[in-house]
Amino acid sequence: MSEKLKQIISKQSRAEQEGINHSEDVVQLVGFIIGDEEYAVPILAIQEIIKPFPWTRVPQVPKYVVGVFNMRGAVIPLIDLRLKFGLSPKKHNEDTRFIVMRHGDDIAGFVIDRLTMAIRIKKSRIGPAPETANGDDTVIDGVGKQEDRIITILKVNKLLERDF
Amino acid sequence: MDEFQEILQDFLIESFELIEQLDQDLVELENNPQDLELLNRIFRVAHTIKGASSFLNFDVLTHLTHHMEDVLNKARHGDLLIDADVMDVVLESIDLMKALLVIIRDTSSDGGIDVLACVGRLDKCTRGDTGIETPAVEEVLAPKEEEAVAEDEPDYDNMDADELEAEIERLLQQRQAEDRAKREAKSASADEQSQESEQETEDELPQSASKAPVPVTPASKPASISHDEDASDDARAAAPAKKASAVEQTIRVDVKRLDHLMNLIGELVLAKNRLIKINDDVEERYEGESFLEELNQVVSIVSLVTTDLQIAVMKTRMLPIGKVFNKFPRMIRDLSRELNKKIELEIFGEDTELDKSIVEEVGDPLVHIIRNSCDHGIEIPEIRAGQGKNEMGTITLKAYNEGNQIVIQIDDDGKGLDVELLKKKSLEKGIITQKEAENMSDKEAFTLIFRPGFSMAAKVTNVSGRGVGMDVVKTNIEKLNGIIDIDSELGVGTSMKLKIPLTLAIIQALLVGVQEEHYAIPLASVLETVRISTDEVYTVEGRSVMRLREDVLPLVHIGDIFEVERILDSNEYAYVVVLGLGTSKLGLIVDTLVGQEEIVIKSLGEFLKGIEGIAGATIRGDGGVTLIVDVIAIMEMAKHVKTSARADSTSDAAMLTREKTKASDYTVMIVDDSKTDRMIMRKALEATGITLVEAGDGQEALSILKQGDHNFDAMLIDIEMPRMDGYTLATEIKKYNRYKNLPLIAVTSRTGKSDRMRGVESGMIEYITKPYSADYLSSVVQRNINFRSEFL
Repeated sequence: MSEKLKQIISKQSRAEQEGINHSEDVVQLVGFIIGDEEYAVPILAIQEIIKPFPWTRVPQVPKYVVGVFNMRGAVIPLIDLRLKFGLSPKKHNEDTRFIVMRHGDDIAGFVIDRLTMAIRIKKSRIGPAPETANGDDTVIDGVGKQEDRIITILKVNKLLERDF
Repeated sequence: MDEFQEILQDFLIESFELIEQLDQDLVELENNPQDLELLNRIFRVAHTIKGASSFLNFDVLTHLTHHMEDVLNKARHGDLLIDADVMDVVLESIDLMKALLVIIRDTSSDGGIDVLACVGRLDKCTRGDTGIETPAVEEVLAPKEEEAVAEDEPDYDNMDADELEAEIERLLQQRQAEDRAKREAKSASADEQSQESEQETEDELPQSASKAPVPVTPASKPASISHDEDASDDARAAAPAKKASAVEQTIRVDVKRLDHLMNLIGELVLAKNRLIKINDDVEERYEGESFLEELNQVVSIVSLVTTDLQIAVMKTRMLPIGKVFNKFPRMIRDLSRELNKKIELEIFGEDTELDKSIVEEVGDPLVHIIRNSCDHGIEIPEIRAGQGKNEMGTITLKAYNEGNQIVIQIDDDGKGLDVELLKKKSLEKGIITQKEAENMSDKEAFTLIFRPGFSMAAKVTNVSGRGVGMDVVKTNIEKLNGIIDIDSELGVGTSMKLKIPLTLAIIQALLVGVQEEHYAIPLASVLETVRISTDEVYTVEGRSVMRLREDVLPLVHIGDIFEVERILDSNEYAYVVVLGLGTSKLGLIVDTLVGQEEIVIKSLGEFLKGIEGIAGATIRGDGGVTLIVDVIAIMEMAKHVKTSARADSTSDAAMLTREKTKASDYTVMIVDDSKTDRMIMRKALEATGITLVEAGDGQEALSILKQGDHNFDAMLIDIEMPRMDGYTLATEIKKYNRYKNLPLIAVTSRTGKSDRMRGVESGMIEYITKPYSADYLSSVVQRNINFRSEFL
């Protein structure tokens, strides 16, 4: 038994070391769907992911700012990414989630259609944003290539920037 | 190094405290030059700062304070008379000292300011007396005449400026060397505590040691005349400088920690509100059960303690307003010399306490108001004498509590505000129109001085005339949710009252409802609420107004300001919340008044800040967010808002009567808490092919309706249900325009006549009693939804 235990332990530590070796050029992202496309943001920018719950409408803001909600005593703005990306509004269903993202002191919740998965992707597999979307104004950070799909990686600081 | 930083911090805090007191003492001293007690106190301040700064290696500061000390020492021994001119020099040196301390605070070193000129003047004051028996006054007057040259001591007479500079440099270095020697001697033996006493012996200060420190009395006294207060204030301020023989009564706490504590209390207040709400719900549901009493007790204890805790923490953040008032005697003194007026400042109630953040904010407005009083209010002595007034003008600064507010009152006995002149000036500057001027009451005319760009001064001076000051006053006070009240009588004087809430973080608010939304209005700006019927609203020049007793009150609907979608039917009656800010009033029409609640103000954050009309948000007992109305902004917005037409319900209604092409186009909701009953109804209707949606209780049914995923043609509603019963559900549904004509069918075992009556009152059109046959139910439903038989 102890032999087996040792094996497991050594295997684990080996795996851990490998993980450390690789972590430098691997980015961890969380993927989600808006409309027909898959997007992702760095996992470290995400404070939490919650199921939809009631929010309060705020007047005199663009349509995509749907309101504010209470997250454990903090008042946090809620932004509908469908509307922000120019898609038609859609009723919230059981797949809908709020992703609360933070960048420095800025914080906001984003409505997304569906979560996909946590993604580990090598930095070398991330290409620059397409030419048409280049420049300082774009919210696109880069494009990640997986075996069978393409994921648009978003800039969290741009998402959290007020543009009205 | 850390230790040094810590000492430095303590030094700075202590020094700033001491200096604040110093200004006031010095002005006092000018009036009572012989007051030995006062002199000793001032001397000790200079001495303490000198001691500490030399210990910390701040040579420039030490150099300056040392020379100050010399002058004061002379005065203390009766060798020098402190008159206005000596005082000018002393005050100048104190300003320099302040500047140096600020630099030290920012950069941890004391370079960058040239103190030599001032030191020269200080020296002159000292030497003036050491020399031959010449009257002090003449000696000191001399340097004023040749201000550029800082020296006129006989020895230096023949030197030119450069040589003079060199000489000063030499003396300075000599002095610094001495200081350094002293310092080394000290640091060898002493820690910070003993340094104080050593210096006292060094500098031959026999009295100071024997003059025992005034005992510190932390208990606050009721407001009284400033002179009486000075003594105890001094004692308090000077206390840290003396060796603490008694146990310390106070500790210094980082403001950040207090802020954090305040935030936590805010959370607690929210949780308390929520607990109370839950308690109410539970009470309703389990009426008469014995555990309720216990729960009640716990809830009330928690709520009581929370309130006490909140007050206690608020008090720790309170500062006496004296902190702000203290700088005014000096300011008045400087201004009166500058303007050649005789002005006396009387201060009352400087012990009145205010939240720290507010104390910091009221300083600037007060400076402007007092400057204004000095410049425009108080006349020059000749005119005053001519009018039979006392040549000495008086400005009174008073602070006191009034309910939940603190009032700061600034009175002067100057010439008062001339209403006609105010109007004329405003017209000239294009601030108001001729018509406005004619309709203006005196009180409204007084507020003209707060308009941006308004100025009474004929020319721009150092003191005033830019037309900015009073505008700033108004904005700053309003930012604090405060209001300004002006009263004035021509030739007699002007009185200004600033009314400011005690704290910023937690306020009383009136919660109002519009359609399905709630808003919180700070109670401080609510004058009253009235219920009106819709035909009491008149239209004047395209704007809604109503009669409120003698006045005509402009009206605006809160829904028009906040772009609220009108989905609920409007009532015959509306409520008007009368908002008041200074002299302007506005009636805000709301649908419902929810109640009064204590709310914690939360910021909307960086992303949403600066939304017009919204001052912030608060979290309610049910965990939802409610927006707080910015009354000032609303008043402004109301001028531009147009009343929107009543929402027409026809477009929504059209959706309900869409063409049906097959049986499943019809949708009926079944609302019953019993699964069996729902199943029975489903079985009865399944044969028709109608789409069926089920809900377990009234709340669920309502939320399904609101989601709008289905267009219902009818609803079957049970009466007895948990959470929300059938009657309430029906009443709620009928509030929506688009469901006005939705057939509601009660399905119940309640057969009493009164039950049927209630059903009709709440908007049910059919009443099916259990048990029923499947065919009967089906036929009633088909009849009500106009089911076309060919689909069967």
